[in-house]
Amino acid sequence: MTLSWKRIYAIFQKDLKDLSKNLYVTSIFILPFLMAFLYGKMYDANLEIHYIIINLTLASVTAFIQCAVIAEEKEKHTLRGLMLSPASVADILTGKSLVSFILSVVTIVLCAMITGYEPANIVYVSIAIFISMLFYLALGTVFGLLTRTVVEASVIFLPVIFLFGFGSMLMMLVDKYPVLSFIEYLPNIQLVDFAYKVEEGAGFGELWSHLAILLAWGVVTIILAAVVYKKREIDK
Amino acid sequence: MENIIEVKNLAKVFGNQTALEDVNFSVKKGETFGFLGPSGSGKTTTIKILTGQLMQTAGEAEVFGVKNSSLNSGSYRRRIGVLSDNSGLYQRLSIEDNLKLYCDLYDVPRKRMDEVLELVNLADEKKKIVSKLSKGMLQRVLLARTLLHEPELLFLDEPTSALDPANSKQIHEGLRRLNEKGTTIFLTTHDMSEAETLCNRVAFLHKGKIQLLDEPMALRRQFSDGSVTVELRDGKVVNLPGGKEGAEEVYNYMSSNQVVSIHSNEPTLGDIFVEITGRELV
Repeated sequence: MTLSWKRIYAIFQKDLKDLSKNLYVTSIFILPFLMAFLYGKMYDANLEIHYIIINLTLASVTAFIQCAVIAEEKEKHTLRGLMLSPASVADILTGKSLVSFILSVVTIVLCAMITGYEPANIVYVSIAIFISMLFYLALGTVFGLLTRTVVEASVIFLPVIFLFGFGSMLMMLVDKYPVLSFIEYLPNIQLVDFAYKVEEGAGFGELWSHLAILLAWGVVTIILAAVVYKKREIDK
Repeated sequence: MENIIEVKNLAKVFGNQTALEDVNFSVKKGETFGFLGPSGSGKTTTIKILTGQLMQTAGEAEVFGVKNSSLNSGSYRRRIGVLSDNSGLYQRLSIEDNLKLYCDLYDVPRKRMDEVLELVNLADEKKKIVSKLSKGMLQRVLLARTLLHEPELLFLDEPTSALDPANSKQIHEGLRRLNEKGTTIFLTTHDMSEAETLCNRVAFLHKGKIQLLDEPMALRRQFSDGSVTVELRDGKVVNLPGGKEGAEEVYNYMSSNQVVSIHSNEPTLGDIFVEITGRELV
C-alpha cells in the first residue's frame, strides 16, 4: 500500500474548506464545548467529568464528523471520483481522516483547558487518546461507507454517540448485571480506567494492557474500514 | 492499428435480469467508438466493467492489455478519464477548488486548469460556486475535470445530454481536437447526430446485445434502398426509387434540364436503429 502526501494533503485541504462551509456538520463541533462550559461552571470537575467530555468529543467530533463527511461523499457521488483517481485507499482514507483528527485534537485541548484537566502524565494520556482516535476515525469511516446519505448517517450514529460518549454511565449496569461485563472492554471505558491509573501514578507495566485493548479495537476497525471501502469500490 | 479495448463474450446478470449478453467488440487506438442504445440497454454497465467499477458475470474485458480483475489499479486509472451520470462535484466549493483537488490527485500542474476550462468555455467562471451552476455548466465542469490529466482513453457516458446546441457543438469540437491528438474515446449516447459527427465506428446495443457494428456511413449505405430525392426547377420535389425505373426518370429530368439538385436518401442512424430493434433511441 502506497501513501502520497501530496494527495493526502490535497484531500485534507479540500475537506477543510468544504467543512468550513458545512453548518450542519460544524454544529456538532459545538457540543463538547457546551458540555465543557456547563460542567466547568456547575461542578468542581473531576476525572469522570473530564472523560465524559473527552469521550463525547471522540464519539461526536472524531467519529461522527468522519462518518458525515464520508456519507456526504457517497451521497453526492464525489467518492466515486476519488475512487477512480490514482489515489490509493490509504491516501483517500488518511486524507479524509485528517480534518476530523485535527478538529478532535483542538476540541480536546480547548475543552481540557476549560474544565481545567491537567493529566499527571500527559505523554501516556496523549498516547491513549491518539490510539482511541484511530478507532473512532475508523468507526466513523465504516458507518459513513455503509450509509447512503448524511441524514441516514446522523440517525444511525446517534446510538453510537450515546454508547461511546456517555458509556461510562453504563458501568452502573455492569455492577447490577455481571453478564454485561464485556462493557468494561469498550474503548471509552478502557480510556477512563487508563486515566484513573495514570492519576494514581501507575507506570507502563500497569498501563500497557489498556493500551493493547485500545490498539486492538483500532486495528480491527481500521481493517474493517479498508475491507468495506474495497467492497464499495465495486458496484453490486 | 493496435486494439486498446478488447471485449469477448461479455455478460452481466443482475439477479435474474440480464444486462449484457455475449457482447463482443474491440476499440482501436485513436478511434472514437460510439456505443449507442436507449436507456437500460447496457451502455453504462459496459463502461462500469471497463473502468473497474463492476465485475462481469462471464466473458473477458481487457483495456491496454489489463484484464478486468486489475482495472482498479492506480496505474490504469491514470491512463483513463471517466465521465458518467454518477460523477459528482463538491457543491460548496468553487469550480477552481474542485479542479485543484484533481490536479493534485493526478499530479498535474495547476495551469492545466485554465486550458481545460477554456476547452469547455468556462474560463471566466472558475470562481463560481458549484451549487450555483446550471446543469449544463455542471456537465462542462465534469468534462473539464475528466480531461485534466490528458487521459489516453476517455469513457464518456452521455457527455452532452444536458447541454444546449451551442455548448454541445463546442464540446464536440474539443473532443475532435483531443481525438486528433491521439486520445481514444469510448462514447455512449442516444444522440444520433452526435454519433455521426464524432464516431469512427458505432455499435448498436439493444437489450444487452450488440445488434450492429460498423462505420456510420457504411451502416447508412447498407440500409439505403437506393432512392433519391430530386428537386426540380418548377419547385417540385420528387422521390424516385432505386434501380432502372428511378434511373430512367432521373435521366429524363436531367436531359430536359429540369434538375436543381439530387440527393441520395440514406437512412439516419436513428432510422436504422428503429428498423432493427423496433424502438426509438431515447
